[in-house]
Formats: sequence, structure tokens, C-alpha cells
Amino acid sequence: MSVLRAFSAMDMFKFNNINLDIWTETYGINFYLDYLARWPDLCCVQEAPNGRMMGYILGKAEGSSTEWHGHITALTVAPEYRRLSLARNMVSRLELVSDQHYKGFFVDLYVRCNNALAVSMYEGFGYSVYRRVREYYGSLGVRRGGRDEEDAFDMRKPLSRDPQRRSVRANGREIVVSAGSVS
Amino acid sequence: MSAVTLERQFRPVYESLDNGSNKSAILSCNKLLKKYPTNILAKALKALALVRLQKVEESLALCDEILAAKPLDEPTMSAMMHVLKGLGRNADLVAMCEEAYKSQPQNEEYGAQAFFANIRNGNWKSAQQISSKMHKQFQEDRYLYWSVISAILQANDPSTPAGMRTVLYKLAHRLVVSSPTPSYLSADRFHMHMNILKELELYDEANALLESEVGKSICSTSLACSQTRRDIWRKRGSYKEEGERARDRISEGDRNWLEFLSVLDATFAPIVSSQDEISEQSRQECREVLNGTREFLADIAQKDGIKNRAAPLARTELEYRAYKHGLHDSSVLVESMADYLTQFGDKSCCFEDLKAYLDAEVASSEQWGAILANQHLSFESISHLQRLINVRKLQRYGLSKTDMTVEAETARAVKYLSEYLEGLSLGKDLPVTELQPSDDLALLSAHAFVNVWTLSGSEEPLYSAVTVLEFGLTRSRMSFLMRMMLIRLYRILGAPSLALDHYRALNVKRVQNDTLSHLVLTRALTFSLAATGDLTYPTECLESSQIYLVNAQETSDFIVRAFTAERYTQIPEFIEFEDRLENSLQRDVVKMEHVRMRLTHEQLHTDIIDMELIELKFIFDRLHHDNRDFVILPNYQPACQPMFNEQSLMFGTSCGQGWLWSFLKIYLRAFQHASDLDETVEAKLLIGDRPKMSPDPETKLPLPERLAIRKSEETAELTSEECQLMEWATALGDWLEPHHNYTRPPPHVVLAEAAKQTELKTGLPLRGVDLKALSVNGNSKKDEEAPPIKPVPELVVKFFEDMYSQFKRLPESKCSISQLLHIATITQEAYILLAVETLRFKTPSVVKIHKLGNLVCMIKDIRQKANSIMKDMSFELLKLAEAENTGDRRSTLAEACACVAVGQIDHDFVLNVVRNVMDSRKKVLEGVAKGMAKLHNTHSQS
Repeated sequence: MSVLRAFSAMDMFKFNNINLDIWTETYGINFYLDYLARWPDLCCVQEAPNGRMMGYILGKAEGSSTEWHGHITALTVAPEYRRLSLARNMVSRLELVSDQHYKGFFVDLYVRCNNALAVSMYEGFGYSVYRRVREYYGSLGVRRGGRDEEDAFDMRKPLSRDPQRRSVRANGREIVVSAGSVS
Repeated sequence: MSAVTLERQFRPVYESLDNGSNKSAILSCNKLLKKYPTNILAKALKALALVRLQKVEESLALCDEILAAKPLDEPTMSAMMHVLKGLGRNADLVAMCEEAYKSQPQNEEYGAQAFFANIRNGNWKSAQQISSKMHKQFQEDRYLYWSVISAILQANDPSTPAGMRTVLYKLAHRLVVSSPTPSYLSADRFHMHMNILKELELYDEANALLESEVGKSICSTSLACSQTRRDIWRKRGSYKEEGERARDRISEGDRNWLEFLSVLDATFAPIVSSQDEISEQSRQECREVLNGTREFLADIAQKDGIKNRAAPLARTELEYRAYKHGLHDSSVLVESMADYLTQFGDKSCCFEDLKAYLDAEVASSEQWGAILANQHLSFESISHLQRLINVRKLQRYGLSKTDMTVEAETARAVKYLSEYLEGLSLGKDLPVTELQPSDDLALLSAHAFVNVWTLSGSEEPLYSAVTVLEFGLTRSRMSFLMRMMLIRLYRILGAPSLALDHYRALNVKRVQNDTLSHLVLTRALTFSLAATGDLTYPTECLESSQIYLVNAQETSDFIVRAFTAERYTQIPEFIEFEDRLENSLQRDVVKMEHVRMRLTHEQLHTDIIDMELIELKFIFDRLHHDNRDFVILPNYQPACQPMFNEQSLMFGTSCGQGWLWSFLKIYLRAFQHASDLDETVEAKLLIGDRPKMSPDPETKLPLPERLAIRKSEETAELTSEECQLMEWATALGDWLEPHHNYTRPPPHVVLAEAAKQTELKTGLPLRGVDLKALSVNGNSKKDEEAPPIKPVPELVVKFFEDMYSQFKRLPESKCSISQLLHIATITQEAYILLAVETLRFKTPSVVKIHKLGNLVCMIKDIRQKANSIMKDMSFELLKLAEAENTGDRRSTLAEACACVAVGQIDHDFVLNVVRNVMDSRKKVLEGVAKGMAKLHNTHSQS
């Protein structure tokens, strides 16, 4: 059970239990205020009844013509609230708003190629790899993780405006583009 | 000059400014001004470059010139906005923008600038009037809604009287309905409209809009609107309708907990809404609905299985409320909790979910105890381990006072530890960046050891707790909970460098500095070695305060953006966010701490005293917000015990508003005595605007009266040593105040000196000061008779002796090093405050003219006593430092912690933890001792 509500600027005072986890970045206040000033309805929070934040999602709407879509910028859940389908709830909320309010064609997100857990989670939500973006996370040089650590999968899920599923493709993993060519 | 030439001529100036080469910008401006001596843009850009070079006085002079010319061209205005912002002169900025809009009412850009200038300054009323005017002039809906939100912002401002609120909301309402286009064209406008109706209790009007097709559609995609709708329905008392709507939503698959709460509220509406005694009839009615709800929830729970825990938890909430309303006894509740535990015991949030329903009676009931005891616990899989952890936490939560003995708690701590070690095998293949699934057992063990410490008062259990946590970190490098517990414990143990290391490893950044810096900066003076030149803590203070500058520079731009994008849901929140950071309690607690440390390493100079006096006075007028995050600290103590946060506060109290107020009073008074700035001088020398005053009526009192106020809730946040310091400072201040007031040079002398300095520096006279007029009025004081010299109050001398005897007594008791350092640093603080209070009487001419020889003798006497005590304390601390970290002490302590040297934790690991603590202690003891010796050298002469 969790309360789903809009992300508020004041949440920056209480998101420590989520953001102290190393996989969650704490950005400057301008980052959050920018999202809230532009896409407040694509940013929401799951909260426990005692008021503790459990996780949040920050998203935006961007692109032109048939590339107009919702984008998941950040999705995070505090360690103690994992395995409770919170991510699924927040993602489906973002999909709903991208679909009904923004009338986007699809929703997309980027994920590290070596993050198998996340990739399979998103596949479970109906996303598929659209393309592989080389060095999206910066060039790390030769490391143990190899290419998979610095490359990202751009994963997409079509919305109701794209009934023909033109925004996805089956062989996305083989389509490689450079980081400069994506927004 | 033609526009083209103009542009070409100014290009290098702009380029230099963009590149940050302010000096060359000034040179280019000077060249331009030679050619065109009256060019106002060149002056404005020069002023900007000067501000950026911190040449405030020169910039001010230019500023006045430009403002007097009432600039109207956009480039000049834009440059001036930056200049005035940089100087903190917002009132001038507002005046400039308003003036420009007044003279060109058709200029939409000027209108918007005037509006935003007022918004930035919190002048909601003027903002409302300007936007109304803009709406009439430009016929854009946006401006109408700007005036609506301005009225709401004014209504919600704490300085607005209660009676005005409704009037302003009615104004907002009138404006909204006058809009040519309906509010539902945008979710944000609609949300604002609904909030006005909610505030004015026009529920029917609101409902008609909410029930319309478009209203429903907005609520389905906007969580903010949906929340307002829910509030309005509740306020209308439409619990039943809301409950049914929520049921439909749940049946359609919505699992938002708020929907479940609506169903439950509807269920209990018959008994909750009745004002009088609950009749048997309404109870019966409630029971019937209750059964229906129970079935509904059971259906959902069955459908969801273990995929979603909302319905089963809602059932527990249902039984809990029924039990609280006396509809049935606790056994039904316990059964549903048992079901919940069976189903979701392998989720880490299970403990927290159930904790809310464990009141004292339920937690201690045999039925619940038996359920927990009969759980099948094992280490077969991570799920099993998680269940075991939940059961341990629940059992611990329910422990009673009689279970709280040193032996029993120690036994529990050891048991949790051995279970933790056993659980580690389940996570041995995880990558190093992951957390171990059995971490919480280590936290539990540390909690129990901390409890033993509070029960026994002896330090050894803290070493055990620290050992367990340090070991935990070797397996879960990223456990921030372990680190935070360690920070707290190391500070108590007097090992601040270890605490700081862990704090840095938390990688606290940006806004987190405001919420988390309390972990290491609270009473940091205790561990500061600034007196020896080690600026670790003062630097930490400055770094953690960066966020407030960022807030001051950036947030208002986003408020403007939110207006431009018409995000009315966000505007009040952005404004509140900015205010909460700007007036953050932690910000000023850190500032106070920084001042305390600063005086230990910088020479006492009137410049510092004057500057800090003004800054602290501003702080004293603020309405603070406490953003400190204490909830982040874990708490697995039994319900009958204080929480870990309270137990682990160094010296048992936190530094909140009361602490800040007390120390401000101490320092403001001392600085005021030492400073020559009185109110008239300060007003003349102040550059920027004064910050917004707190609406608290106390701030309207004259400063000396405010400084004399003592409140028990304020002193309650002080340690006993800090209380003694406060009393001492009060007595000293009372004794010396008449002499300060009598010997302080009159304002015209001070101002003449300031004017001389300014002229020396800038070649320009001090602005707005008419020295002749001042000298005529300012000379009356010398006719008064000199105040009599009274004997030294006993407390003033005795304080140092008292502190020393407390200090001497401590090592015999089982106290911690931190306590000892606290007494030493408070004594040192008094020593410095004595120097501040007597600074004025060090000047021989002052003493001679005012015949203060006697007073100076008495002061000398006090100082001598203080001198010898500072010397003795420093010596004792050095002795203690030498005694730390000897092989014997290490072995004795490691021996005392033998109970944690089990499994993978070997004796060497324990020994190492002990060694690190002792090293850190030795360092801080030595440092503080040397610092005291150094301060003694600085202040003992004279």
C-alpha cells in the first residue's frame, strides 16, 4: 500500500532515504525545479502511510511529430521498499499521463546495457529495445564491464496513439547509434 | 549614437563580462565614458563589473546616479537588475521596474518585469495590482490568473491578518469567475480554482465543476486535482459517495492507498461523523457496512495474491479502526496481522507496515507474542531471512520495561549478531556495491548494545556497537544506515575524525547539506581544532552553507519560469521551498557554530565583531524552518524506550531553535557591547535591504529587551554547561553594560571615521551621511554622569572555578571524552567572550578619559583566574591524550568487547576498532589542549 501523489519541491527535504542509495543521483535544486516547472504531472512520488517516501519518478514530454513522446528521466525506489511493484505503478502512471494528457506516441527510457535486472523489468512492463546508444554514459575506456557499461539501451513502449506499433522494432538491439545523435 | 554603432561599441564590454574579466570590462566602460560621459548603459555595465569585483562602495555611487536618471532602455535595466540583485537592494529593483512600467504602460515586458520584481520581494499585493492592470491593458488571460495567484499568496502569507484571508480569497474567486475562458482549459488553472472554492467552502459550486466531463478527465490525469477533489468531498461530508467512487476505482485496478482510505472512511462514517455519544444504532449500522467492506477487501486481496499488499493491509487497518472504536476486541485485529505477516513477512517493509497497529496492549498480548514465537524461522533463503528479521524487529518492538536489563539486552545483542553472521552466507555472491540481506540484524545488534550503554552508563557496549557496525560495513560498503549510526556513536565516544570520515563517505551533497549536516556540525566547536589552525570544521560549515547561496541565486528564476509556464500548482510550493531554505534553522545553527569557531582562530578585531553583529541581528529577526532530517536514522528500539535518535544525540539534546536563540542572545549582547555601531550608524552603513522580518510580535521589541528574555523551552535545549555559560555571560554583560554605553563614541564620530575610511578607499564620500547634522544632535550623552563602578558579580569569577572542578571530577566517573571536551570548550568560549566584552577597555586613552582604572583592575583579576584555569585544563587534556591508546587500555577494552568477537569477527578486528577510536581521541584531545594553550597566549597579556 502506498500513496501515489505528485512530486513536490518540498520532497527535496525528505528524499534522503531514497537518495543516499548509491544508484540514485542527487542533482542540483535547479534540476528538480526545472522538471516541476515544466512537467509537474510527469513527476510523482510513492509514499508510505507514515509519510516516508518510498520512491519517485521524474519524466518529461519531448520530440516532434511522430517522435513526440513521454520520457522517463529518473525512476528510483528506496532499498527497503523494493519488490513491491512500486516501479510498475509509477511507470504506468507516467504512461497514462503521456497517453491521455500529452497524447504522445510512446514512452521511452535509457538503461545501461549491463543492467540486466532493469532491462528485464522494463521488458516485463512491455518495453522493448529500440536501439543501442554508444557511449551514452560517457566513455569509460576499457573496463571490466566493457561496452555494456558505457552503452545504453533506448527502450520504448508504444501508446494508444501508435496502434500500429511503429515506434518499436524487433531487432532494436542490433541497431547501434552514437550518443550525439540522440537527444 | 546610432543603434549599430552602439552595439559595436558595447560588444567588448559584454564579452568581458561574459568571460568573467571584470577588470577589462571596467577599462572598456571607462573608455566609452570618456567619449560619452553621460551614457547610462556604460555606467550600468561598469557598476555590474564593480559589484562582481566586490567593489561595493564604488558601485553604489554609480548605482545612485543611474537610478536617479530613471533608466528606460532594456539593456540598462537588465544590467541594473543584476547590479541591484548583487547588492541585495531588492527594494530599489522594484522601484526601478515599477517606474519603467509606469512611464511606458504599453510595454508588456516592463509590466512583467515589475510583476516579477514584486513577486521576488514577496510584495504580493503590488504584484496583484500590477497583474490586474496588465490584464486590462493586454487582455491576456494569463495575467488575470497571475493576479488570482497573487491574491492567494497574499492570503497565505503568515503576516496577513486572519480576517483578511477570506476577503482575499473572495477577491481571487471574483477574478477567476470573471475570466472570459473557463478555468478547466488547463489543469493548473483548474486546480487553483478548486482550491479557492475549497477555501471559501463553496462545495456545491466545486462539485458541479468536478462532476463535469472535463472535470473528471482532468482529475484522472492530474494527481494534484484529484487530491483537491478528495479533500472537497470529505469536507462536504460525502464520505459514502467518495467511498463508492473509490471502490469503483479499486475494482478497475487502482491501488493507490488513498482510495483504500476513502473506502475505510466511508465504512466508519456512521460513528465518526456523529457529534454526540455513539448510539447503538449507529454501531449496528457500522458493523453491517464493516462486513461488506471486509468482503470487498477479501475479494481484492484474493485477486491480487502476493502481488500487491494494499488490500490485506487495508483489512488490518479496518480491524484496527474497529478495535479502536470498540466494535470488537483486539483478537480480530491480531488475527489479521498474523495473516498479513504470513503473506508479506518476507518483504522488508512488513515491520513498518504492522508497527502502526501495535499499540501497547496489542504488542504485549499473549496472542500476538505466541504468533511471533510460533513463526517458522530459518536461513534457507533470502525470503526466510527477511521473515526472521521482521519477526525479530516485531518482537523487539513489543519488549516491556521489565525486559530492559543489561544482561537480557546484552544477550539479545549477541543473538542478533550471531544471526546476522549466519545470514551473511546468503549474500556472499552479491557484488560489493549491493547491500547484504542480513544487514538489519547488525543494526538490531547495535541498537541493543546502545540500549545497554544507556542502561549501564558504561562505555564498553558502545565499543561493541561500533565494532558490529564497522564489521557490517566491510560486507555492505554502501549501507548509509550503518554509517549514520556510526557517526552518532563516534561523536559520543569523542572520536570526531572517524565520524567525519563516515559522513564524507555518505557523499552528502546539494540540498542534502541542509537536511543532514546536523549529523556532524551540531556543536562542532567541541571537536574543532581551529584554534591550532586546523580549519576542517569551519571549512565544513562554509561548504555545507553553499546550498543557501545557490538557492538565493537560482530558485527565484524558477518561480518566474513557473509563472511564465502558468504552473499554479507549483508556484506556492517553489516559494515555500525558497523560504524554507533561505530561513532554514540549520543554516543559522551552522552559522552560529562557525562564528564560535571563527573567534578561536581569528584575531578579535572590531571589523569582525561589527560584521558578525549585523549578520547575527538579521538571523535574530528570522522566522525559521526546521528542515533537519532525523527520520532518516533507523530506530529498532522497543516502543517503551526512547528512539535511537534521542539516545544518540551528543549530550542528550539537539541544537534547535531554543539553542540558536540562546547563543544568539549571548553573542549579540557581547558583540553589541564591543561594537561602536549603534542603530543609527548601522542604518547608514547598511548596503542591501534588511531581510524580511518574522511576524512574531517579539521581534518588534527593542533589541536590549529581546536579549534579556529567558524562556524555559529555550534553555531546555542547552546542556548544563551551556546554561552556566549563558548565566555567566548575562552577569558579565549586566556588569559591564553601563560602562560600554557610556564610553562608546557618539554616532557622528563613528560615522566620520567610516566616511574617512570610505573616502580613502574609493575617493568618494560616504553616501547619505550628513556629518554636520549628526554632530549637532549626537553630543548630548557626555553631559550624563559616569556610571558608578560596581563590584564584580560573584558568578563572573566563580564560573571558571566551577567549570574546572566539574572538569576534574569527570574522569573519575564513567563519562565519555566528548563530555570532557565539552566542558573544556565551553570554558574556552567564556574565555574568548571575556576578551570580547573587555576589548573596549584595553585602549589606554578610554580608560584614562573615563577614569576606569578600577574597573580595569577588576577585569585583570578575572582574567588572571581564567588564565590559570585555561592553562590547567590544557595541561590535563594533554595528560589524558598521552594516556589514550596505550597497549594496556586497548587490550582491556577489547577484552570487554569479547562478546562480539565471534564468527568472522576476530579479536584483531575488535582491537583495530578500539585502536582507531583511541587514535582519533588522542588527536582531538591533543588538538584542543594545544588550542587552549594558544588562546591563552593570545589573550592572557593585557
